[in-house]
Amino acid sequence: MLRTTLAGLRAHKLRLLLTSLAITLGVGFIAGTFVLTDTIEVGFRQKFTADAAKISVAVFPKAEQNAQELPFIPAETLTKIRAVPGVTDAQGLVSGPTPLLGKDGKAAGNFPTTGLSVPSGPLNRVVLTSGVAPAKPTDAIMDDNTAQTRQFAIGATITVLDAKGAKNDFTLVGLFDTGVDQQLGYTGAIGYTTDTAQRMIDAKGFREVDVAGADGADPAQLRDAVAAAIGAGYEVKTGSEYADELALQSNVDTGYLTLMLLLFGVIAMFVAALVIYNTFNILVAQRTREMALLRCIGATRAQIFGSILLESVVVAVLSSGLGLLLGLGLGAGAMAALGVLDAPVPVGAAIALTPRTIILAVVIGLVVTVGAALLPARAATRVAPIAALRSQVEEQTFKAGLVRTVFATLFLLAGTGLTVAGVTTGGSQESLIIIMAGGGVFFLGVLVISPVLMRPLASFVGWLPRRLFGVPGKLSVDNARRNPKRAATTTVALTIGVTLMTLISVITATTRATVKAQLDAQFPVDYMISDQRGGDSLVPRALADQLRQRPEVGSVIEMRRADARLAGPDAALDTSRYQVGNFPIAPDFRPQATTGSFGDLVAGTAALNDDVSRDLGRKVGDTLQLTTKEAGPVTLKIVATFDRESTDQAPITLPDADFERYFGRLDNAGVYVNAKDGVASDVARRAVEAVAQPYPTALVVSATELRGEFDDALDMMLMIFGGLLGLAILISILGIANTLSLSVHERTHESALLRALGLTRPQLRHMLSLEALLLGLIGALIGITLGTVFGWAAMQTFPFEVLFRAPVDQILVFLVLSGLAGVLAALLPARRASRASIVDALAST
Amino acid sequence: MTITTEVRHAVVAKGLAKIYGQGDAAVHALRGVDVSFATGAFTAIMGPSGSGKSTLMHCLAGLDTVTEGSVAIGDVEITRLSDKQLTLLRRERVGFVFQAFNLLPTLTAEQNIRLPLEIAGRQADQVLFDRVIDTVGLRDRLSHRPSELSGGQQQRVAVARALISKPNVIFADEPIGNLDSRSGAEVLAFLRHSVRELGQTIVMVTHDPGAASYADRVVFLRDGLLVSELTDPTPQTVLDMLLKLEA
Repeated sequence: MLRTTLAGLRAHKLRLLLTSLAITLGVGFIAGTFVLTDTIEVGFRQKFTADAAKISVAVFPKAEQNAQELPFIPAETLTKIRAVPGVTDAQGLVSGPTPLLGKDGKAAGNFPTTGLSVPSGPLNRVVLTSGVAPAKPTDAIMDDNTAQTRQFAIGATITVLDAKGAKNDFTLVGLFDTGVDQQLGYTGAIGYTTDTAQRMIDAKGFREVDVAGADGADPAQLRDAVAAAIGAGYEVKTGSEYADELALQSNVDTGYLTLMLLLFGVIAMFVAALVIYNTFNILVAQRTREMALLRCIGATRAQIFGSILLESVVVAVLSSGLGLLLGLGLGAGAMAALGVLDAPVPVGAAIALTPRTIILAVVIGLVVTVGAALLPARAATRVAPIAALRSQVEEQTFKAGLVRTVFATLFLLAGTGLTVAGVTTGGSQESLIIIMAGGGVFFLGVLVISPVLMRPLASFVGWLPRRLFGVPGKLSVDNARRNPKRAATTTVALTIGVTLMTLISVITATTRATVKAQLDAQFPVDYMISDQRGGDSLVPRALADQLRQRPEVGSVIEMRRADARLAGPDAALDTSRYQVGNFPIAPDFRPQATTGSFGDLVAGTAALNDDVSRDLGRKVGDTLQLTTKEAGPVTLKIVATFDRESTDQAPITLPDADFERYFGRLDNAGVYVNAKDGVASDVARRAVEAVAQPYPTALVVSATELRGEFDDALDMMLMIFGGLLGLAILISILGIANTLSLSVHERTHESALLRALGLTRPQLRHMLSLEALLLGLIGALIGITLGTVFGWAAMQTFPFEVLFRAPVDQILVFLVLSGLAGVLAALLPARRASRASIVDALAST
Repeated sequence: MTITTEVRHAVVAKGLAKIYGQGDAAVHALRGVDVSFATGAFTAIMGPSGSGKSTLMHCLAGLDTVTEGSVAIGDVEITRLSDKQLTLLRRERVGFVFQAFNLLPTLTAEQNIRLPLEIAGRQADQVLFDRVIDTVGLRDRLSHRPSELSGGQQQRVAVARALISKPNVIFADEPIGNLDSRSGAEVLAFLRHSVRELGQTIVMVTHDPGAASYADRVVFLRDGLLVSELTDPTPQTVLDMLLKLEA
């Protein structure tokens, strides 16, 4: 029996390869994920261990209770550490924003460049790529990327703003690599001597103190000695403990990456399982006579069952092995790509192929393949020996059985119920998970019921081809309807990919529209000016005043902010700080109130956003007591409430004059600018930039740019998900090709008959292409429907009003691509069928 | 020879040779066959297994290429035609009845019968359609699919399909090979009937002397050569001839 199976496999190498390909791709993706993330993890560990080797002990400040920020480590502590016996060296480290000015005199980038101290001696962890470390107070070093994009070379003079905003000039003496630090990679970095760094950042001490011990000294003993010397209030770790902590942190990050990639791997494997299931089903159906003959000559049912399973095991082992190789290639390729893109991951580590990867790849490949072949193998055992004597394979007749109907109904109802429950409870993380579960269950229902859907759908989709393409069109529709079970499995594989693509495109389109509307409501302006350093850094009033002088500028809206606690009896109720803001005076600043009216906002009144109003239980007409900096406690009458999402006002908004009286003459948290009507946008932009030029950190962002950045981020997401789902779609196309080529094989006689009756070769090819087109379109239609409905449902869980959008253009593209995918899949089978000699085809049985 | 120059011929083959393979492995299936089939006649091709009778039919019908010689269907010389031209020729001028797998399982009997016309984009002649259906006796079976028809009925549908496009010639390849004797007799009677009543030309390949006796003329093949023929055959004369050839 074993020999028969193996001989059969050898005789059909191509079929074996095609079948294996689906599993190979899935296993390859999963193995590739592990290879990639393992390699990254190994790289991180190597990097951290190398860093930690330089440090015996590291000291960190411990956060005080309720403190917003970590305290500094004072200089006295450093002195104490240096005095601990066994300590050969100790260096304090600091880092903080020190905005680099670009050649245009404006602060470079959207975020301030990070300044950091570069200690001298063996404790230095900064890796120089060229030049030397800073030695004098006027020396600085810069990361390669920033140097390249801002066009600074060693020897150049760079200007950097210190914490007070004053300009400081430095000589660039070296360049360094930010390595795996994502934050530094993003903002760019400048290194100074420790003293200079402290002065630039205005640090009252250090963020970290690294300690070196004598060679051969036990770090743990040194740790305890240091801890004892400096007392409580610090966290003291050995170098290797610190490295472990960092590695753990980075592993958590890589863990998310693994999880996300694996999710797509699992989807691909599920699709591959459907393809395998279908392939084995068709193979069993085609080999009915072979099976019957084996039964006739004495093979038992168990032997038949075993032979099919054995075949699946061979396929599984072969494809898992190939998949593992593919995974190695994918992992190495991805690492190379990350290296080229200069991503903040450690490159250079050897590609890691762990036993876990190997075992998982083989086990997953085996379980999925053999699992998918179980049902077909069972079907094979039901072949009666007498079938060997029948000449014509009987046409499959399909009726929706009671079991199928009951199960499908149950799944569909449960899925609908869960989804409805998720939508109606709305607004939380749990409801999204409920809807996702509902979607999954509903999909199972669709999977079960899909054979019943195939015939009506084929008639529906085939309406046009039937009329347009004459006999090939009609026959292709008939063939698509012919074996609903087979058609269903084939198309459902494609449906999975299309559903998820549609879901993602609906979600991104809806997010895009919703966020755009929110941005329009919150920033109904052309330009926004804020300080690049963020936080408490403000935009001077003088800038706003100068803007008003320009003829190109229509209106200037100044937003000011302050923090305040509630006062009087209200203070007992709520001790937290509230953000208070002014109501800007500008003709075109006209936000909408939810209740009350902004028109009533006169001296002694306030407007609250809906959240604060609800939290404090205050409505329009109630009063609120506030502790103010300049005027002490004041009582405010609430005259309006507004939606947080609809306008960019502080939760507690006061009339402009009141705000100034209560909190003093503050600078602006933000300045919004509208161009005058009729002024070209580039002219207006130049005018605004010109006014902002003397203020290095005043960052001008146009509303279009902001929307553009957001659009880019969404497009990027769509592309990444699309790319990852591409694998599942590719496998489903293989499935269509496989099904079709097996069907073509099955219909050799029919094709020959049609050719004898006068169907030309192109007509026969078109017939098969059309059939594949129909299958593709049916799969896409189901997927698009599911994706749109569940995309809508998922968006209902957002805690705010969403503008639902189904991107018709993208969805049409999915439909067309699915159809094309089908046609592409039919290319080879159709070619083979049309090339076959009529006489040979008629002679074969 | 009974053929006279007055008789018009539906199919004429001259010096037909067919060689499969090359060199030492070459198989000479046909070694120069000259044969003509008169219009409106029912001719059977007979011969022992491997005599080349199926190859002859395939070559005559334009299903297979010939190595040497010429074949004319009506006034068209087919051995020089491209695949596309051959296909169009089959559509217009040739009908087929095969031993098995004659019908498309997805189509009803009526759709199967109309299929060649549809492929050619022609309208069925309704009078002819009715006449054919009534002759075949399938009117109450028209909406049935092949799986719902008996073997005999299926072959009758196949014959009806071949007749409906009024081809110059119908080639029947062992049309009753898969049928029981009663159904076989029915189909054969029907074939002969369509020659007599509709003036159809039919060329049938068979190995069954009984079946051959329904024909007007039987030609005998052996080792790729036309060796003999009989007019107005009976089962006995055919059998005698076969035995003589085997000897």
